[in-house]
Amino acid sequence: MSKILVVDDEQVMLDGCKAILTKTGYEVDTVLSTEEALRKTEVTKYDAIVTDLKLPGMTGMEFLEILKDREPEIDVIMITGYATVESAVEAMKLGAFDYLSKPFTPDELRGVVGRAIERRRLLREERSKATKNRVAFEYNMPVDLYYLPEHSWVRRITEGTVDIGIDDVFQKTIGVVTNINLPSRNTIIEQGNPCAEITGVAGRVYKFLAPVSGQIVEVNEGLKKERSLLNTDPYGKGWIARIRASNLKGELANLLSGDAMIQWWLRREIVERKTDRYVQISTLDPNFKHEIAQEPGGENIKVCFGCGICTATCPVREIDSAYNPRKIIRMVLLGMKERVLKSDFIWLCSTCYACAERCPQNVNFTNIINAIKNIAVKEGIIHPAFSAQVDLLAKHGRLYEVDEYDNWRREKLGLPTLWIGEGSAGKVFEASGLKNILPTGR
Amino acid sequence: MEYALFLGCTAPIKARNYELSTRRIADTLGIGIVDLPEFECCGFPVKSAHYESFLLMAARNLIAAEEAGLNICVLCSACAGTLVEVNRYLAENKKTRRKVLSKLGKQDGQYGFANNIQVKHLTRVLHEDVGLEKIESMIKKRLSHISLAAHYGCHYLKPSKIYDNYEDPENPHSLDELIGVTGAESVDYLAKEHCCGAGVLAINEDIALSMAQKKLASVKESGADGIVVICPFCGAMYDENQKRIEAKFRAAYDLPVLYYPQLLGLALGIDQKLLGLNMNRVKVDSLLDKLA
Repeated sequence: MSKILVVDDEQVMLDGCKAILTKTGYEVDTVLSTEEALRKTEVTKYDAIVTDLKLPGMTGMEFLEILKDREPEIDVIMITGYATVESAVEAMKLGAFDYLSKPFTPDELRGVVGRAIERRRLLREERSKATKNRVAFEYNMPVDLYYLPEHSWVRRITEGTVDIGIDDVFQKTIGVVTNINLPSRNTIIEQGNPCAEITGVAGRVYKFLAPVSGQIVEVNEGLKKERSLLNTDPYGKGWIARIRASNLKGELANLLSGDAMIQWWLRREIVERKTDRYVQISTLDPNFKHEIAQEPGGENIKVCFGCGICTATCPVREIDSAYNPRKIIRMVLLGMKERVLKSDFIWLCSTCYACAERCPQNVNFTNIINAIKNIAVKEGIIHPAFSAQVDLLAKHGRLYEVDEYDNWRREKLGLPTLWIGEGSAGKVFEASGLKNILPTGR
Repeated sequence: MEYALFLGCTAPIKARNYELSTRRIADTLGIGIVDLPEFECCGFPVKSAHYESFLLMAARNLIAAEEAGLNICVLCSACAGTLVEVNRYLAENKKTRRKVLSKLGKQDGQYGFANNIQVKHLTRVLHEDVGLEKIESMIKKRLSHISLAAHYGCHYLKPSKIYDNYEDPENPHSLDELIGVTGAESVDYLAKEHCCGAGVLAINEDIALSMAQKKLASVKESGADGIVVICPFCGAMYDENQKRIEAKFRAAYDLPVLYYPQLLGLALGIDQKLLGLNMNRVKVDSLLDKLA
C-alpha cells in the first residue's frame, strides 16, 4: 500500500485529506509542522508528500528543498492558497511534482496524488526490468515549447496566440483517457488554475491547469472524437486549446524552456538514476587518456581515429555487445575514467590480439585494455577471478596446486615429478607491490 | 639441439597427453629436453592487471634458462607469447631491465635476455629448428585418409610484432605444413583464425563457450575428422569442454582434438599408449579407425 504524508498547519485540512486519501486506499500520516514532517521522513519512507506551501516557521519551499536534498526521488505535491500560483510554478521548477490550488475537490486531490503514485510505479517497473528496457520511461519533450514541468506545455503560434496541451509525464501518469471535459470557446482562463478535466481509467479525474492566462479562441474538437490523441500525440494532434494570451511575456517567464528545461530534465534523469545514459562533464577526467598512455602498452591510445576495425574484428564483441573496443576507447578519450574502471566489460577481453593485428593506427587495443585494468587494480578495483588467480599463484607458484597424487600419476606415465611447495610468486608479488594492492593484503 | 622445456601451469596438470607426446617425439627427433626446477608460472595471468608482476615472473624464468645456458621451448602459447615478449623487452629496455633485476636480487650486466637466449613455441621449434625435411625423413607411417583442421590459436603468432613477423597471423601456414608432413590433409575452414575463448573463461563462461562453439561448428561444417591444437588452453576449450558445449548448444560435433605432437607421434610410429591418446576427452577411435 502506498504511503502518503500530509503536512498542514490546520487540523481540519489534515483530517479532510486523510479521510479522502485513506478511502482511496492509501496509508496516510498527517503532521502539523514541517519540523515534525522532517522527523517523520527520517524513519518512514513515503511514496508522496502533500504539503501546504505556506506554513509557519519553515516555508513549504524550504521544506521542499530540504526534502529533495535528502531524498531526490520523493514526489512532493504543493497546496497553494490564493495568489500564489507563481510560487507554485516556482516550486515545480525546484522539483515539486505538482500542485493543488485551494479550495480543491476530493477528486482533484485523488487525481494529483494518483499521478504521483503512478509515476513512481512506472519508474519502479522500469528498474525491475532488464537493463535493455531501461529507457521505458524516457521523456520525449520537444525543445521549442514552454513547460509547466510534468504537467503542461505552451507553443507560440502568433505574437499573442498560443496552443496549450499536456506534457509527457502528465500523459504517462494518467494512463488511457476515457473522457475529456474541454473548456468552451471564449472562456477566460488563468495561469495555474484548472481549465479542463481529463478522466482516466477507474474514473479518476485529473485537473488540467492552464499554463498561461487569456481567452480561449479555439478548442481541439478532434480530441472529443479521438481521445487517444492525448496519449499518442500529446504535443501534436493532442493539443487542448488555442489561447489569446493576456500576459504572455510575463507568464512565460514562470515556465521552463530551452536550456532551463533541458537542465531540469537532466536533473530529473539524474534523480532517477539514469546517469549512465549521459556523459556528465563534471565527472570527466581529461587526464585519463594521458594516464593510460603512461602505462606499458597504452602508449598509442591517443592516435585512435575511431575507425572501429577493433570492434568489427573482436570475437568477444561478436558474442556479447557489452564488450565494444571502439566504445571503450571513446569513453577513455572523453575522460570517463570512473565509469570505465568500474565497468565489468574491461575484464572481458580474451587477449586474442585480433584487434591489434588489424588496427591501422597501431593502437593495440589488447594492450590498451591491459593498461586500463592495470590502472583499475592500482585503484583497488579488482575482478574476483583475478584475485583468485593471484592467490593460487602466491600459494603454489602455478595456477594449480600440485600434490603427491599428481606426481604419482605423472610417474606412472613416465613423466618427471613436479616440485611441490610455495614457489617464488609470493615473493615476486611482494617485490612488485601487488601484494599490498590486493584487498586481502596478500 | 637442446632446450629447457617450459611446461607452464596447465600442461603438466590438465594436458599430460600434450606433455607426454611432446617428450616422446622429442626423443625420436633427437631434441634434447631439460627440465629446470626453477620454472614457475610464466606471468601471463597477471599481465592484464599488474604489469610489473608480469615482468618479474617472466624474467625470473628467463634468468633460470639463461643461467642454464639453454634456449626455451614452450608448450603453451600464452606462456610462449609472454616469455618471447619479456625476453625481448628486457633486452631492449635497459632501465626496466635494471629495475627488474634489482627486484629479483640479480645484478645488472649479467643477463642479456634475448641477446643470449631464444624462446620458441614447440611448433616453431619443429617447423623452424627441426625442419619439415628432417621430420618427413623420419615418418614411418603416413597418416593418409584423415583430414584435420589446424587451430593456431592466438598467442602462437600474435601479436606478430613480438615474433618479428615470423608468420602472417591472417594467413598462417606452419601448422598446416606440419600436419601435411604427417600425410594427413589440413583442411581450410571459415573460422580458422578464431580464438578459442579460454582467455575469458574465468570471467564469463557463456562468452568463452560460445566462442569455442563457433569454431567447433565451423570445423564440423568443413568435414574435417578432427582438430589439431598446439596450446593446452585451446585443448581444454575444444576437448575438455566439447561435451558441455554440445549440451549447451544442443549440437553434436564429436570432433577428436589432437595435440600436434600426438599426431606427429602417430606418424613417427610411436605407440599410441605412449602418446596419451587414451587421455583425450573426446574419443579418438574414429580417427584411429581411419588410419588402421
